[in-house]
Amino acid sequence: MEEFLQHILNGLILGGTYALLGIGLTLIFGIMNVVNFAHGEFYTLGAYTTFLFLALLETNFFLALLGAVASGILLGAICERLLLRPLLGESIDTTMLVMIGVWIAMQNAELTLWGGVAKSIDHPFPQPPLTLGPLSVAPLRLFVLGAAVLLIAGSHLLIHRTRLGRAMRATFQDRETAALMGVDIHRIHTVTFAFGSGLAAGAGALLGPVFVVYPAMGDPAALKAFVVVILGGLGNFAGATLGGLILGIAEELGAGYISSGYRDAVGFAIIILVLLLRPSGLFARAERVG
Amino acid sequence: MLSLEGLRAGYGRVEALKGVSLDVRPGELVTLIGANGAGKTSTLKAISGLLRASGGRILFEGAEIHRLTPREILRRGIAHCPEGRRIFRTDARAIREDLERVCTYFPILAERLRQVAGTLSGGEQQMLAIGRALMARPRLLLLDEPSLGLAPALIETTFRIIREIRQRGVTVLMVEQNAYVALRMADRGYVMETGEIALEGPAGDLIENAHVKRAYLGG
Repeated sequence: MEEFLQHILNGLILGGTYALLGIGLTLIFGIMNVVNFAHGEFYTLGAYTTFLFLALLETNFFLALLGAVASGILLGAICERLLLRPLLGESIDTTMLVMIGVWIAMQNAELTLWGGVAKSIDHPFPQPPLTLGPLSVAPLRLFVLGAAVLLIAGSHLLIHRTRLGRAMRATFQDRETAALMGVDIHRIHTVTFAFGSGLAAGAGALLGPVFVVYPAMGDPAALKAFVVVILGGLGNFAGATLGGLILGIAEELGAGYISSGYRDAVGFAIIILVLLLRPSGLFARAERVG
Repeated sequence: MLSLEGLRAGYGRVEALKGVSLDVRPGELVTLIGANGAGKTSTLKAISGLLRASGGRILFEGAEIHRLTPREILRRGIAHCPEGRRIFRTDARAIREDLERVCTYFPILAERLRQVAGTLSGGEQQMLAIGRALMARPRLLLLDEPSLGLAPALIETTFRIIREIRQRGVTVLMVEQNAYVALRMADRGYVMETGEIALEGPAGDLIENAHVKRAYLGG
């Protein structure tokens, strides 16, 4: 039982960052109808920006995290303005190919800039794990969970409690009618892409210190994000949040009770089952984008 | 107030509007009738900025508007109530706020509309869609098929409300399949056929026109 609870806690920590990745991807998918194959690269960008701030600029750890999120937002906005806006109204295949190009370009830029050797990020948290009754957890991982929860809650408030969020949900439901109501569709697209990329960069910044940072680290992250989106249903914010947590817990249980080599296989087994049994997502009847 | 001069627009390679010219003067109720695919909805979409003009001009109160975004056109005072109502279904709270304001426009409907929150009937949805367009306090209201999919009694109510809106000083350009009713209430009418204006004139004359009778009035 104690072992089980420990797996659940580890799963929640991992799942929180999966949820961040999935929320960004599902919003971009749902609102802009863009399959963002470069999503994992914004995750990598966040991790490297954190490294840059800490190792080269020698700033405070928390400032580095903010810088990482800001870099995701900025590059996301630039990417939308330069590459996606001219393609507004083109088919989903066209934008998908463009995003595959962005994926390749960003990953190779990272390789050129930082080299292929993995880097580790220092953090100010003490190494010895905290013990909470039968459970033990590294302080850094507890911080990662707290920060992920904060970012998810903040995103929820943005989408459900602000005019901007309402405009985003309206655009998701019916782009033309939203435009007729005075919603600036271009602005919503820029904001959505910047926001989703910022969340991905935040996830990378949080997991960077937990694991190591290397140019291809975004590939598995992007795969997880797609799993989360399929689990939760297209454009479904709450679905992506729950889907992330479910995936994180399932992976931990799979790694713990089957074999750690099967960690990633668990995610794909879930995907196959969901696509066979509930192709529109586990929470298909829930409200989409919000 | 509004004039279209040789307006051309289309979807990809398909040209939906092949040089449409029409005028709406302040205070008028003008109707645009025609068969399916004649370009009525495309005309309204071009006016509200959803469809880019590929040629010709659109003037609103003397200024060109065909290069503006839908948001800018709305700000200038043109609201478009789209075909098929297109209400936002899932945000019950937003719907309720809208409804309260719709009620101030149509006091007769107030009580009935307050009873419903999330699930509205077709007629109530149409009221909501028209009311929503009126939220922008437009000077020109574009209505696309306001009677589509409504029961006969509700069609009657909807048209009565449109007449009331017009009496309150809002100029109306209305696309309607139901040619007879539309021409009965309009000042002037335009008949569209395959992307062009085929006939125009005072609504009373169009009702008597032999071609219109044969093609659109079932006579």
